[in-house]
Amino acid sequence: MTSIDVKDLTKEYGTRRAVDHLTFTVRPGRVTGFLGPNGAGKSTTMRLVLGLDRPTSGTATVGGRAYATLHEPLRHVGALLDAHAAHGSRTGRDHLRVLAASNRIPPGRVDEVLELTGIASVARRRVRTYSLGMRQRLGIAAALLGDPAVVVLDEPSNGLDPEGIIWIRELLRRLAAEGRTVLVSSHLMNETASFADHLVVLGRGRLLADMPMREFIDARVQPRVRIRTSDATALKAVLTRHGHDAVEHDDGYWSVRHARVDDIGRVMSGAGVPILELSSDEGTLEQAYLDLTAAETEFATPTQET
Amino acid sequence: MHFTPVLRSEALKVRTLRSLYGTLLAVFAVTTAFSALAGASDTSDPDFDPLFTALSGVWPGQIAAIAFGAMVVSSEYHGNGIRLSLAAVPQRGRWFAAKLVVVAVPALAVGLLTACAAVVAARAGLGEAAGGLTAGEQARGVVGCGIYLMLMALLAAGLTALFRSGTATLSTLIPFILIVSFVIGDAAGGITDFLPDKAGQVVLYETYDGPLGPWTGLAVTALWTTAALLAGVWRLRSRDA
Repeated sequence: MTSIDVKDLTKEYGTRRAVDHLTFTVRPGRVTGFLGPNGAGKSTTMRLVLGLDRPTSGTATVGGRAYATLHEPLRHVGALLDAHAAHGSRTGRDHLRVLAASNRIPPGRVDEVLELTGIASVARRRVRTYSLGMRQRLGIAAALLGDPAVVVLDEPSNGLDPEGIIWIRELLRRLAAEGRTVLVSSHLMNETASFADHLVVLGRGRLLADMPMREFIDARVQPRVRIRTSDATALKAVLTRHGHDAVEHDDGYWSVRHARVDDIGRVMSGAGVPILELSSDEGTLEQAYLDLTAAETEFATPTQET
Repeated sequence: MHFTPVLRSEALKVRTLRSLYGTLLAVFAVTTAFSALAGASDTSDPDFDPLFTALSGVWPGQIAAIAFGAMVVSSEYHGNGIRLSLAAVPQRGRWFAAKLVVVAVPALAVGLLTACAAVVAARAGLGEAAGGLTAGEQARGVVGCGIYLMLMALLAAGLTALFRSGTATLSTLIPFILIVSFVIGDAAGGITDFLPDKAGQVVLYETYDGPLGPWTGLAVTALWTTAALLAGVWRLRSRDA
């Protein structure tokens, strides 16, 4: 079992505390989305996990060991931190050959990951000539080079075209399905919602949430039913009779809070109300996230009320 | 981690950057060309030293050696590439040791080859004026020149790790060699004999009369280089990558 374990981790740069007593575990077999606004401490946490920065206090381990004590670490942990890490004057293929050599990864694996990430055709071009999307794919190729059980990616969908976004989503899901531990940071909510099973949310270096994504959304956003009718009066009457509270929106639809589509559908058909549209309005990760950060801001800023 | 794969990786890094070949080629071309020019010029100066004249191309040529040492290390700091390197090899001391080998070996090899070529090229011009040079003196000059260029490349590598920037290194070392050592050299008296470049260059002279001999001079340069490397290692190990 190869988890990433972060325990009471703190990192200070001068007087600024980038990571503040952080404790969470990233487990294998699922994609963990690492969320938070810019400057929340996501990248710092990743660097601490990889042993690149030294923690002020606390520990970060991979499979129970500090990263720096891993023998041939690329075979255990693959990371994408910065798409610009590859030297512009080297070819993409040489960039990977250099990394492979240091961890005794067979050279054949270089061509495999180039194929896997779809950049085999540009592998012999200098990295300088790559688009951001190609660099991003090269960084992911480097992360997958050692066939690692743990994959850590910092904003992997940055600069990818729509096709690339779909590709990375499927790649992440596949890596998790293979039983790997996958930690992916992002500040894009819809993007994260499309691949994450679990969420770790940071705000100003502190842990705000660590729970399954579905649970996170359901806890913060009430599901609603969206309904449109040609007979608003009848609709309102029926809903009131059944104890539902409906709100009319400008563009002609009604939303019913604390309700399920199945119930509302039956009630309406029973009462003979003409229905033009009926759908369930599931909470989105974005709504849940905004709700959380709003609560956090309120908590952090003392209110002026007396 | 084993040292050999790390070394292989670092060697591959040098081999896959074309600009590094350029600097090594410049060491050879500049040194040989300037030595050949010096050999063809007037030899009636009372301070004329045939060995130093033959190897005088080292003076401009060392700048290319310094650039080589600085660039091998500074290439890691482009776009924070060092994070990727240290994620692959977390043992920073071992990683830097491999880095130094791939600075030292090519610099020494090119330095020796260059010195041989410089002596041959200069002697073609010097003719009779170099007749008094013994084989031993020439061998000492060539070997010393190779070691000197290697030490200067390593000095630059150490400073680059300390400054985390090749530009900072070059803008410190090159003015130092071109101006400080050269201009205030004679004015400041004995102390300048112990500067890294002055001390190491004693080995390039047939006759010498300072406090340092050819090998003690190189030893002084080696001390400077060691100090720069220790400072570089300290920075590398103590700092967040």
